[in-house]
Amino acid sequence: MIGGLATGAWDATRNLAEGITAPFRDPVVRLGVTGLSRAGKTVFITSLVANLLDRGRMPQLRAVAEGRVLAAWLQPQPDDNVARFAFEEHLAALTAPEPRWPEGTRRISQLRLSLRLAPEGLIGTLRGPRTLHLDIVDYPGEWLLDLGLLDRSFAEWSEAALARAEGRPGGEAFLQAVRAVDPSAPADEPALKALASVYAAHLAASREAGFADCTPGRFLLPGDMEGSPALTFAPLPPAPDAPRRSLWRECERRYAAYKRHVVQPFFRDHLARVDRQIVLVDVLGALARGPQAFESLRGAMADLLAAFNPGRSAPLARLLGQRRVERILFAATKADHLHHAQHPQLAALAEAMLREARDRAAFAGAQTAAMAIAALRTTVEDRVTHEGRTVEIVRGRLADGRQVALHPGDLPEDPGRLLAPARAGAAEWPGAAFALPELAPASLTLRPGEGPPHIRLDRAAEFLLGDRL
Amino acid sequence: MREPSETRGPLILHLEDAPPPTPAEAPPVDGEAPHPPAMARALRRAGNRRSGGLAGAFWSLLAGFLLLALSLAAWDWATGLVARHPLLGSAATVLLVALGVVALAVAGREVWALRRLARIDALQRRAAAALSGDSVAEARGVAADLATLYGGRPALAPAADRVRARLTEVLDADGLLRMAEAELLPGPDAEALAEIRDAARRVAALTALVPLPFADMAAALALNLRMIRRVAEAYGGRSGVVGSWRLVRAVAGHLIATGAVAVGDDMIGGLAGGTALARLSRRFGEGVLNGALTARVGLAAVEVCRPLPFLSRPVPTVTGTLSGALAGLFARGNRRPDPPG
Repeated sequence: MIGGLATGAWDATRNLAEGITAPFRDPVVRLGVTGLSRAGKTVFITSLVANLLDRGRMPQLRAVAEGRVLAAWLQPQPDDNVARFAFEEHLAALTAPEPRWPEGTRRISQLRLSLRLAPEGLIGTLRGPRTLHLDIVDYPGEWLLDLGLLDRSFAEWSEAALARAEGRPGGEAFLQAVRAVDPSAPADEPALKALASVYAAHLAASREAGFADCTPGRFLLPGDMEGSPALTFAPLPPAPDAPRRSLWRECERRYAAYKRHVVQPFFRDHLARVDRQIVLVDVLGALARGPQAFESLRGAMADLLAAFNPGRSAPLARLLGQRRVERILFAATKADHLHHAQHPQLAALAEAMLREARDRAAFAGAQTAAMAIAALRTTVEDRVTHEGRTVEIVRGRLADGRQVALHPGDLPEDPGRLLAPARAGAAEWPGAAFALPELAPASLTLRPGEGPPHIRLDRAAEFLLGDRL
Repeated sequence: MREPSETRGPLILHLEDAPPPTPAEAPPVDGEAPHPPAMARALRRAGNRRSGGLAGAFWSLLAGFLLLALSLAAWDWATGLVARHPLLGSAATVLLVALGVVALAVAGREVWALRRLARIDALQRRAAAALSGDSVAEARGVAADLATLYGGRPALAPAADRVRARLTEVLDADGLLRMAEAELLPGPDAEALAEIRDAARRVAALTALVPLPFADMAAALALNLRMIRRVAEAYGGRSGVVGSWRLVRAVAGHLIATGAVAVGDDMIGGLAGGTALARLSRRFGEGVLNGALTARVGLAAVEVCRPLPFLSRPVPTVTGTLSGALAGLFARGNRRPDPPG
């Protein structure tokens, strides 16, 4: 309790100090890249930075089109205790002669891109070129899910987790293990450890099957906390009169410790203090995995987005160090897997899927938008005649090197056609089918001054950063 | 009193084959069709008005008849001359034939100029359609045609190449047009604005310095016509006599449509800048006023002749253009005109 108060006071002091000194330092924009595992955060950051360093492919970013971005420099990053984002390695992986996707992110990393901007207006001319720092954090998407735990007690979370376990891969084994233990019995460390590992196996299996809401995230990717008590617990059925030191009480205590030692510091240090946020959602992938995976993704995104604090920060509040997310972009990724004629439907679907978060943000005064983007374009557009009708397709390369012509399926004009059956728990999409093979990045020949090809990355950057450039 | 036979019972028809109803697209039950505002309707009427069928036929027939009479008279006169003085007559015939050839060439150039103008008109229409319909294919066509239109100018050839290279990469209609505008139009914009500033400056100086009341008006008219033609040329439209006439009519129509409001807005600034001058001299005040009107005409010409609307580049204002023009007029004599843009 006192520790929490002290931490809160320290945070407030730090924010206040930052706010007061802000007018005398170069402005910093913190871009929060939010997305679950495999949504494409790392590729997005890599491509954005590469395209800001080589700006030939950013015509829709107005400051670039008007020639106001004089130079960009990838700084050694600002925080000494966080790893630097391995930009060069990721870019090398994407642009190699045999290109491949970067490895999944396993730890937090950060980078700072500094932009030198030409002056504007009378005062700007007097001051000369100004500098804007862009701070971006990359982190494992699995950990993001834990934000949904912040507002939940152990009993609530257990109930939800046990309900989810039914019918998912590995769920039956876990439920049997839970039934075998008595929550009111005294806690026994080996038994608890066994239960936790069964639960972790169930989480890993259901994530493989495409379910998004697998909490706690550190069970999937423990980092250096593996085996610690804060990561050794499992959801249990309610036991209202469980005595002290019983299994249930111990799990409840460890759940609280997990939130306090893992979730809160992660959120506070890396996610809470962002000015601009992009929410990357793999809508097409979730569609291809079926209505249940789609609904689980929707629920997980709604849960975790509730942790953020959107709105417009008043100038005075900004001076006092209060930060709010002023602009949120909901981006449906992998738009290159779809012909551009269907991009509006894809963006509408992403927007409808994240409707709660969007409405909350818009009501609080933040600007929101939805777009279909591809941070790294892997396909070209084409049309073929198939069974007597012309189909607009994209051509790409599969992971095993074969060429493929792809049309993932017709997206409906009205997103409700997909959202409603998903919410109702349908097993198959009624009257529609979607498929999405995994495409490998195309091998690129870049002209000097050009970043990697993309779809609407410049437009997304214009929405997120355009007013600060 | 109703007859009992007129009361109706419930009626339920089963429609087997009819398409299912779509209430989402049905018109509202008690709503009226939305009316555009009166001004917009009036403008649309003014824009759509063509000369009526009968009047048009009358004028074309009259012109044809007069032309026939004139050429016959010339022919008779020439043949008569051949009969009377063969040497003089053949000279007259040669002259007549040469005149005919030159007239044909002029007509050909007019037609070509009109087609250039029509091409820009078509670009404008297609750009508007692409923007309102968010059609990427249409916007791609417009951007490609713009690159062809301006690619022939040496200064704009690299920009046209850049636009062509990005054509398949940008997948938004407005993004494509913004890109084409940012790459291709700054040069023509600057050229057109320089012409407008020049004309405004000359008109202002003329009005202030020429003492004859009608001479200054005629000179201002000539300067305005020249400015409109040059603005059109800056954006790639060539204009002959007929083309110029069409342009002037379009610009006048545009001025009438938008000017009533815009002159009111813009003139306040122009007048505020001009009041000090007007205190010094009535003629200087008039000069500023006429310069402002010329700038207004020039900007209307820009809107008529520019193949794209102003999407990402700032819309030039009368006040800004005028102050740029007058800075050139009243500054020291050796100062260069403002750098374009």
